[in-house]
Amino acid sequence: MSYVAIKGGGRAIAGAAAVTEFLRTEEGLSETLAEPLGIDAILHQLRHLVDRVVSEGGVYHPKFAALAIKQSLGDTLEAAFALRAWRSTRPRLLATPPLDTSRMRLIRRISSAFKEIPGGQMLGPTPDYALRLLRMELMDESPDAFRAVARAWLDSCPEARLPDSFPKVLDALRAEGLLPPVTGRTQAAFDITREPLVFPVPRSAALATMARAETGSLLAVAYSNMRGYGDVHPTVAELRVGYLPVMLPHPITGEPTEVGEVLVTECEVVAMYEADDAGGKPMFTIGYGACFGHNEVKAISMAILDRALQKGMKDGPGNPSEDPEFVLLHVDGVDSMGFASHYKMPHYVTFQSDLDRLRTTQQKSGEPA
Amino acid sequence: MTNLERKHWIRALTAHPASVLNALADELASEFDVKLKSLPQAGLGLLTLTDGAFHEPYYLGEFPLSSCSVELSMADGRTAAGGAHVMADDADLARALAILDAVVAARLPGWERVSAQIDAGAAIRAEEDRRRRAMLAATRVDFAMLNNAENDDDEG
Repeated sequence: MSYVAIKGGGRAIAGAAAVTEFLRTEEGLSETLAEPLGIDAILHQLRHLVDRVVSEGGVYHPKFAALAIKQSLGDTLEAAFALRAWRSTRPRLLATPPLDTSRMRLIRRISSAFKEIPGGQMLGPTPDYALRLLRMELMDESPDAFRAVARAWLDSCPEARLPDSFPKVLDALRAEGLLPPVTGRTQAAFDITREPLVFPVPRSAALATMARAETGSLLAVAYSNMRGYGDVHPTVAELRVGYLPVMLPHPITGEPTEVGEVLVTECEVVAMYEADDAGGKPMFTIGYGACFGHNEVKAISMAILDRALQKGMKDGPGNPSEDPEFVLLHVDGVDSMGFASHYKMPHYVTFQSDLDRLRTTQQKSGEPA
Repeated sequence: MTNLERKHWIRALTAHPASVLNALADELASEFDVKLKSLPQAGLGLLTLTDGAFHEPYYLGEFPLSSCSVELSMADGRTAAGGAHVMADDADLARALAILDAVVAARLPGWERVSAQIDAGAAIRAEEDRRRRAMLAATRVDFAMLNNAENDDDEG
């Protein structure tokens, strides 16, 4: 595939950027006192948008994600692209040791497998049980009313005596012999930012690819499995949302030290049980999903696809969602939007070639040119 | 002296604005000779997680990371080593935290001020943790209260 480089048109390109900037600031022409969208406002009031961008950008930098959202006028694909472009300018300093998500400071934890789980179920912030009705009172929300809501909620909360961390539901099932044992593999994980995906790829490559995949793409493929092009039939053993302490060795003492925290959504699903090839007793199969930010649809979709891909890697793919190449090469938002967008670029040479061939073909077939 | 162990100082101190930490470190550093053991640098860290299904390591993504190590020397010959990794795209902050780390660890002049900032920061973090626990406590749900008939109706 080839297309000519753009020559000339520099003024138009600069003009296009200026027009876009005009649209971003056009509200300033109005009589009312318009204010630019603050980064903190995006961070807090559009937090799920920020969560998508940190996740799909693959870098947990909420503030820059908010900036990217602002400059892209809310386009998540463009924002993730900008975040990835930024990360490409930064040196890699080091990797953390493998972190254990059981240490997450949770704000939400549920299970659809059991009514009762050790430590209890806590709904946390969720729209799951809310009526999807427009809240007209937010159309003209006063600053005073806005400020009063959070204060009133905090004041109404009793002192909570809860542990800092909670046990995993899967651990209890595994202790009963209902799940396959942990593999205990400790080989270095696959770094998708440094190595191309050459199939077959290890599971760590699949998990990393899906962790920064575009939410809608991941959902679409997982949905195909849910609807019938697959047979994972998942039950959510546990879905948790919380802040994971990021631990690194202290530069002087070497002691694990918390250097910050990341908001993570994590989902573990239990799927159809299967016989043990080695003749052992049948056990449930399991799938795992996680991503930066609070994005439950993404984590659930990833967990389903993890299980589907495990099956495809073991038995050969029976449907698209079990095919690692199909799934992993088509779920990245920046990759796919780039390919779609490139069709807008000049293809004058290739299309001229198509025109020439069609005209020649038509002449040869006796049809009017 | 703060009761917090050294491994918790970064979390506590970073509850304060970077400008506060940089100013304090600069002020204290004027009393010492500051030798950089590793240059302040800003870049990225790679977050390795253990997956919850099979406990295998994988990379969830990257995060901004800055780091620095210093050695402080006083005119009387005393020295102290300090260092910091911090989740931020701010090499100056890493340098400041490394200086503050060394000052408190060796109780160099000014350590009480840093210690007070650690305790104040820890209080801010404790309030954050309290809010998060409140989100859990306020939404604790007991699905065991559902009777079997209701539960059957609710299942998808």
